[in-house]
Amino acid sequence: MGPTTSRRAVLAGSAAAAMLPFLRIPGARAGTPGELTFGLSSFPPSIQPWANTGTAAATVKLMIYRGLTSYAPDGALRGELAESWQPIGTQGWEFKLRDARFQNGEKVTSADVKWTIEQIAAERSTAYFRAEMQGVERIETPDDRTVRIFLKAPVATLPIMMASYHLPIISRNSPRGSFVGAGPFTIKAQERGVSIELEPFAGFFRPGLPKLKRIRAIAYADENLRVAALRSGDVDLIEYVPWQSMDAIAADPALKLDTVDGAFMFLVFNGTRAPFNDHRVRRAVAHAIKRDELVRAAFFGRGSALMQLPVAESSPFYNAEFKEGWKYDPDLSKRLLAEAGHAGGISCSLLSTAQYGMHKDTAEVVQQHLAAVGIRAELNLPDWATRVAIGNRGQYDLAVMGTAADSNDPDGIANFIDGSLSPSYVRSFGLKIDRITELLAAGRAEFDQAKRRDIYREMERIAIEQAPMVGLTWRSQGYAMRRQVTGFTNLPGALTFYSGLTFETTDVA
Amino acid sequence: MLAFAARRLLVSLGLVWVVASLVFLVIHLIPGDPAELLLSQGGIAPDPAAVEELRERLGLNEPLWTQYLTYMGGLLRGDFGLSLQDEHPIAEEIALRLPRTLELVGMAGLLSVIFGVPLGIAAAMRAGGALDRILSAWAGFALSVPVFVVGTLAVLVLAQQLKLVSAGGYVPLARDPGRHLALLMMPAATIAVGLGAVVFRVMRSSVLEVLEREHVRAAQARGLAPAAIIRRHVLRNALTPVVTVVALHLGSLLGGTVLVEFVFNWPGLSGYLVRAVEARDYPEVLGIVLVISTLFVLLNFLVDLLYAVIDPRVRHG
Repeated sequence: MGPTTSRRAVLAGSAAAAMLPFLRIPGARAGTPGELTFGLSSFPPSIQPWANTGTAAATVKLMIYRGLTSYAPDGALRGELAESWQPIGTQGWEFKLRDARFQNGEKVTSADVKWTIEQIAAERSTAYFRAEMQGVERIETPDDRTVRIFLKAPVATLPIMMASYHLPIISRNSPRGSFVGAGPFTIKAQERGVSIELEPFAGFFRPGLPKLKRIRAIAYADENLRVAALRSGDVDLIEYVPWQSMDAIAADPALKLDTVDGAFMFLVFNGTRAPFNDHRVRRAVAHAIKRDELVRAAFFGRGSALMQLPVAESSPFYNAEFKEGWKYDPDLSKRLLAEAGHAGGISCSLLSTAQYGMHKDTAEVVQQHLAAVGIRAELNLPDWATRVAIGNRGQYDLAVMGTAADSNDPDGIANFIDGSLSPSYVRSFGLKIDRITELLAAGRAEFDQAKRRDIYREMERIAIEQAPMVGLTWRSQGYAMRRQVTGFTNLPGALTFYSGLTFETTDVA
Repeated sequence: MLAFAARRLLVSLGLVWVVASLVFLVIHLIPGDPAELLLSQGGIAPDPAAVEELRERLGLNEPLWTQYLTYMGGLLRGDFGLSLQDEHPIAEEIALRLPRTLELVGMAGLLSVIFGVPLGIAAAMRAGGALDRILSAWAGFALSVPVFVVGTLAVLVLAQQLKLVSAGGYVPLARDPGRHLALLMMPAATIAVGLGAVVFRVMRSSVLEVLEREHVRAAQARGLAPAAIIRRHVLRNALTPVVTVVALHLGSLLGGTVLVEFVFNWPGLSGYLVRAVEARDYPEVLGIVLVISTLFVLLNFLVDLLYAVIDPRVRHG
């Protein structure tokens, strides 16, 4: 047979087919001045203003909504829709509103603030701050620019609470089922699960802001693809930079990396049963972990050891004397186990999740370190949904958890150590330490900063001794961007997820 | 024939109902509470009262059998329900995403055939030769490399290093046809690497088998040009098993493009299903599985009918 014709046809066909993937048509990519393409880590399941639906949703909320207060790029609390605030006695706060407008053109008034708080506190509300807003006794609106909030108990941290992305002020005249905010951007279009397009709100109260003419937020669930999209020029800015890519991004002259130690990993316990209902066993765990190894193994060295409560070093409430409160000391760990009657070691379950690498890797390293002091932990690594359910029901002995605090104020970690709160996977199960609960309440009610510092110092001392949770590592939380992106800042410490606030000053050259 | 078709249709509908019921049961049995998950995003402890309120609002506090009857009642009215996460109509979302997956799978199939068929013929015609050995080795390699490795390498080399293509994503056809096609090619080509190798192998062995048949030998003896023999006497006969294999693979790809959709950020049905399972969004999971299984059952139903047309004995079997 003479295959000449066939071979030619075959080769031509193959060559043509091979060229198909290279049909690159430029356009609609990053690099347009004044327009930002932002790689989100996931598509927000919902952008309901007052419910917690994750950090990706929070970032979008920070683009379209504003609260009474917020944070400056250095992390300092600043006025937002409120230009000033002051306490009234011990149980009241007065906020003076600035001349701002909602995206429907209406003025932001004290009536809108009152309405917002009432919606959050409503009986059928699913808002994150529902319980806190139900602690509001009454709200006075003497004029359009003044709102006075009186609480059932003193809350010194109310202005911090008001800075939360779960507490934006919404126009009381919003159409049913939608929410009109006063943020710097408005949603122009969205394709569910894919992308959200935003355009600037011309009536934003800060003169000259926002700088961008357009934001296109595209969800890239795969962290490696998110990095590839940045490096190939598809996007200008990405969030949740994976740790393994940070060195390469930092070394790339075309890119900038902005990281802070904001989120943290920790261990929680089942306090309803032996052996972790004994604080000596919990401390034995705390002293058994080589945290530097953990940072290297789980976070590629991008993080730092956390041997005390997770309060940022930059916070005025940081207690340097407890810096090594839970330092690695295997001998002490073994002694504590022996004192607790477990000289022969113990067996337990260690809950984490295989769905997120940082949780799985942390659990595996912790398991090895615990084994070295005689704690034989059997790993349970279900998917995240199951892990949450198991954690909420207390069906574990020891569990790995990772998150960020609500704020850089020590009250922001109450969720993780206050055992009087309802059972939750984010804190130890059934582990109530009355003195910690009392001190948290005292700190929340105290307006004098010096006294607050004393209260939280005492609280941390008890926490180091009782170990209601055990800090493991701070983990770097990173944003990466092209050099042409300016004005975007990763906020410090626990406020890293508030960095979306700086989209108002962001620009693309 | 009509009675046969009616019988098969009834069986098919029964199958769809069984699948829907099984999936309903399984998804409700596995741990994880959609209300709790939604309000716990970002490692945050939700207010239990808020979770309870959301459960009530979503109807999750109803007894399981009530939820089942409500869901089945909705299905009979053609209503797939609303997403538990944002109350988005599920039918609308499936209608948006199904064509994307079909397009991806279709393009992958097309590329596989474009590559696999001619290369399979070429290898068969030179069986045992250098070309055959090289192509067979390539096919073995392509089949053994997981699809996510091919995809990740493609992104790394073509997008990240050479900057020839976008790393991934999706642009609707109506907005920018050129870019839509460009973004489609990478994931489709990634699937086609493995599928093309399958097509190549089946085509090669099929051609070899047909080449041994008497009518082909007779044609060769008559001195017909090899190209004409291939075109007139080999190709049509050899393509039948290829069509069967491609159809089977494309069917399984309907719900099996998860990794490729993930690696290339292609917003199709498979990725939607995974996210729905992760969020324990029961109506979404049910709706997607139901659509995929219905397509499968429909495909089988059509094949059954085709068999009956080809071989009348099947109708009475």
